[in-house]
Amino acid sequence: MKSSSSWKSALASPAGRAFLALALVLAAGCVFNADHAFFKIGTHRDTLRQTSVFGILACGMTLVVVSGGIDLAVGSLLALAAVCAAKMAIHWNWPAWEAVPATLAVGCACGALAGWVTASLRVQPFIATLSMMVLARGLAKYACGGMKVSTAVQNPDGSYRYVDVPPLFKAIDHRILGGNLSVVTVIFFVCVALAWLALARHRWGRYMFAIGGNEEAARLSGVPVVGAKICAYAASGLFAAVAGLCQAAQEQQGDPETGSGYELTAIAMVVIGGTSLMGGRGGMGLTLLGALTIGYLDKILSINAVPEAGRLVLTGIIIVAAVLTQRRGRT
Amino acid sequence: MSATPAPSGKTPPLVRLTGITKRFGPVTVLRDARLEGRAGEVHILAGENGAGKSTLIKILAGIHTDFEGSIELDGCQVRPRSPLEASALGIAVIHQELSLIGPMSVADNIFLGRMPTRAGFVRQAEQNEAARHWVRQLELDLDVTQPAERFPVATRQLIEIAKALSQNARVIVMDEPTSALNAPEVNTLFTLIRALKQRGCCVIYITHKMEEIERIADRVTVLRDGQWVGTATAAELPPAKMIQWMVGRDLGEQFPRRAPHPGAERLRLENFSVFPSGFSARPAAENVSLSVRAGEVLGLGGLQGSGASELLLGVFGAYGGATRGRCLLENAPSRFTSPRQAIESGVGLLTNDRKATGLVLSESITANATLAGLRPLSPWGWRRPARERQAARATTGPMRLRAASLENEAGSLSGGNQQKVALAKWLQIRPRLLLLDEPTRGIDIAAKREIYQLVEQWTAEGIAILLITSEMPELLTLSDRVAVMHRGRVTAEFSREQANPESILEAAMGKISRA
Amino acid sequence: MLKQIMTLLAGLAFAASGYAQRTYTIGMSQCNFGEPWRVQMNADIRAAAAKHPELKVIFKDAENDSLKQRAQVEEFVGSKVDLLIISPKEAQPLTEPVARAYQAGIPVIVLDRAVLGDQFTCFIGADNKKIGKAAGQWIAKRLGGKGNVVELKGLMTSIPGQDRHEGFLEGIAGTDIKVIFQADMKWMEPDARREMESALSRFDHIDLVYAHNDPGAHGAYLAAKAAGRDGIIFVGIDALPQEGMAYVAQGILDATFRYPTGGAEAIDTALKIFKGETAPKKIVLGTRLFDKSNVASGGEALP
Repeated sequence: MKSSSSWKSALASPAGRAFLALALVLAAGCVFNADHAFFKIGTHRDTLRQTSVFGILACGMTLVVVSGGIDLAVGSLLALAAVCAAKMAIHWNWPAWEAVPATLAVGCACGALAGWVTASLRVQPFIATLSMMVLARGLAKYACGGMKVSTAVQNPDGSYRYVDVPPLFKAIDHRILGGNLSVVTVIFFVCVALAWLALARHRWGRYMFAIGGNEEAARLSGVPVVGAKICAYAASGLFAAVAGLCQAAQEQQGDPETGSGYELTAIAMVVIGGTSLMGGRGGMGLTLLGALTIGYLDKILSINAVPEAGRLVLTGIIIVAAVLTQRRGRT
Repeated sequence: MSATPAPSGKTPPLVRLTGITKRFGPVTVLRDARLEGRAGEVHILAGENGAGKSTLIKILAGIHTDFEGSIELDGCQVRPRSPLEASALGIAVIHQELSLIGPMSVADNIFLGRMPTRAGFVRQAEQNEAARHWVRQLELDLDVTQPAERFPVATRQLIEIAKALSQNARVIVMDEPTSALNAPEVNTLFTLIRALKQRGCCVIYITHKMEEIERIADRVTVLRDGQWVGTATAAELPPAKMIQWMVGRDLGEQFPRRAPHPGAERLRLENFSVFPSGFSARPAAENVSLSVRAGEVLGLGGLQGSGASELLLGVFGAYGGATRGRCLLENAPSRFTSPRQAIESGVGLLTNDRKATGLVLSESITANATLAGLRPLSPWGWRRPARERQAARATTGPMRLRAASLENEAGSLSGGNQQKVALAKWLQIRPRLLLLDEPTRGIDIAAKREIYQLVEQWTAEGIAILLITSEMPELLTLSDRVAVMHRGRVTAEFSREQANPESILEAAMGKISRA
Repeated sequence: MLKQIMTLLAGLAFAASGYAQRTYTIGMSQCNFGEPWRVQMNADIRAAAAKHPELKVIFKDAENDSLKQRAQVEEFVGSKVDLLIISPKEAQPLTEPVARAYQAGIPVIVLDRAVLGDQFTCFIGADNKKIGKAAGQWIAKRLGGKGNVVELKGLMTSIPGQDRHEGFLEGIAGTDIKVIFQADMKWMEPDARREMESALSRFDHIDLVYAHNDPGAHGAYLAAKAAGRDGIIFVGIDALPQEGMAYVAQGILDATFRYPTGGAEAIDTALKIFKGETAPKKIVLGTRLFDKSNVASGGEALP
């Protein structure tokens, strides 16, 4: 009796519900467990690896959504960053300590620009970031001339020479702890920690919550609304650039077409966690749970080789179900 | 002022709620509450905030359907399961938060959900004609095809009443209908309420204003902590007794006047004008000159549209640089262009709408109480939650804030407690000047008294206060001096001794008597 | 008749502007410039046309929009190009504009994807089924008729994906080759890597991965390499110079089969038409096999 009531109170919180969703997905993994693949450590390592890029995007998305906005540009910014990183690291042979900051700066600047358009020029976030989504995709294609930036480098005469995968990419697409943890997963967790620190422990995080909850009240309480919003979008662009770096390293190339539609997955991760799209409520911990839920769901569908059509339908249903339970918890 | 004689006790009740118990989770908000309204009477439902008045009304309106107890209408058991069912039964509720849809026309709003149609198409002309009929009943002269949002709050309130009339409601519930109305509008409303009585309607009226109760009440029911305390005719229930019923203790008739604490001049405005909609439009406040000294309360009187609220927002920098003239804070030129600047100079503004502009309701009490003064609490940008809690305790502690925990959402508090959190936010910045816009709007009498005490305490500490209030007794009680505004200009200034309700109202209606 | 008048008018225009030698303007409507394969097609056309100074090619990007492409075809007809090359986005919406251009006397070469009916001069395209079958046969030979294969399919809702799948099944028919895992990777490298990871965690013994495009095969290779699984053979399709051919040359893929763009063939056919020769109604391009032994020398043509 007592345990059931403590269960109930645990489920009354958004975190409890997000845990429940993750637990249900994991339980499904134990049941639909083709060739016992779900009980192998490699499966979990791979799940975390493939969730990482989306999860890093979701970190930035959480900041933006908490402050009452939305960032549709992260998928395109990821592609732009991937192309830039590949160009610098493969074609120009820049060392990591030059290529990484330069790539991050590109993402951060694009994010800040979108933030400035929405915060200062008062364009709706949806429109401002939609424009940035198109613009960044165009820049990505322009930067690489429409071709993937790979280790096959074209000579002036049209022939190709083949260069090595740069050490930066090798280091990012590497495994540590006896091959049981991908470096990109470590990067993902570092991003989660940074976003958590910003949101839960920094003054600007409080500002973002306040703006998302009631922008006018925040402004009249002296919150630098424009600055905090630009900050949120710039951070989102920065995380998108980190994700782009990871994507380029894992593909060993910069593909201008990569990452399309990733923004929707990132939004889904944020929402399944229980962060409200209306702004003002949520948190980074919730997004981590949401990211793992979607990542594991994806992996389980993949292990069981569920056809594409079925995957889409199931994913759609599960997102709606998770969001409905979250909402019920609030009223 | 004598109340209309109450209908004889033999009149059978038109509506009767008995044994109403309602729980929200573990919290019981109503316990065996009752309310009985007769045809042709104005029945006041009184009680402190959080006494359960709104919940009781929501049960009658079919918004809360999960409760114990019974509702009888004309002697028949009813149980409205939705607002639509309630209105079909003849119960209309005019909520405190207006429920009109802004961009839709007045006529569309009045007939929303039951518009006259032919084959599914709205018969616009017929609808407009009917809408005009109901609007004229209220002696309102407006174009029913205009969007509702074009009209001032007071007019929108009357449109809501027109909507209730058009539904042929017999039980009309009004939840603080005068909170946004000025004096002539209140008179119109009261005339209307008398007409409704004559038709045999039962008007259930919720208000905090003693003056209104004296003017229109036939009978009064008082709730306290979700329980029924008593029902009596207005004649049997003098104000002192009613307050005693509401708060459960005798508070005395009137709050003692504050002791004056005059100090050096703190704020000085010279020919200060505020342009909320840009310099090309008419200023909301024009060439205002006034001064406030440390430890002094300058009351700003005025009716709706006087421009007093805009003046405070302009001083606070909320309109950016859209101000003209001189603003001196302790003799330093201080024409603020952002609230942030004002706050850094030690100026706080309590806005007149705590839900829309005062608080972030989704955030904790601590977060709200420290929002304006977060900078010193977060060295190098990193927050110190323990320090924040300590600061919130320090500012909310003396206010007797009723909350289970300071980590609860501000939205979960009652109106009075929310107001205390909003005030705590400004104390956190250790203000030199506090701009208070309707500090006691929509809060109960006990909480009001507590806020009066706080004002006394703050002025004793040397804070200068510029106060707006629409309640005359409050203005007279709290102010050391009173400046009265009319259409953006200061029309009169009174010392404490000179100020009296009649002359203030005269000045507020435009009679210039400034020396 | 109409054609003669057009030629006459064009001739007059050129005479008026003082040009002595006859030049030809070719309009090229590409369904999008985004995919590397289409960028390659444009490059092939440009390279082939560069050898003939009398040819001038105008490229237009329809940005994956059928209606935009339709408008572009109409623009080309309006500006009276001498020949139209179109690589259509979709058959149905572009059939009519192509037919109208053809009826207006402009020769039309349809590249890669077909339009409906016969109102065009020449169709040049490759056969995905044939390529899939060639891949299947090569795989059957390479594995000696038996083994465990993972198939990473493009998009099974797309015609190329279906054809590459069916052709492959035809190619391995009658052998003991088992397809132990198959999944859609939507032509995307990250998705291919993800699906391959699932296959690797389920099956300890995988002989070969057949992916419907080279990035897919590359993604699978990265997954296997990260998992430390050696000895798997990777086969892809498309053989673009900077993708598949590069992967083969780098030893990442064991084989790739070219899906030809037909760009060079389109210019050859255009020249034939300008000389007044009749072009065949349909040209089916053959594929080329690239493996370690022949990638440097340009691959081996398959029938």
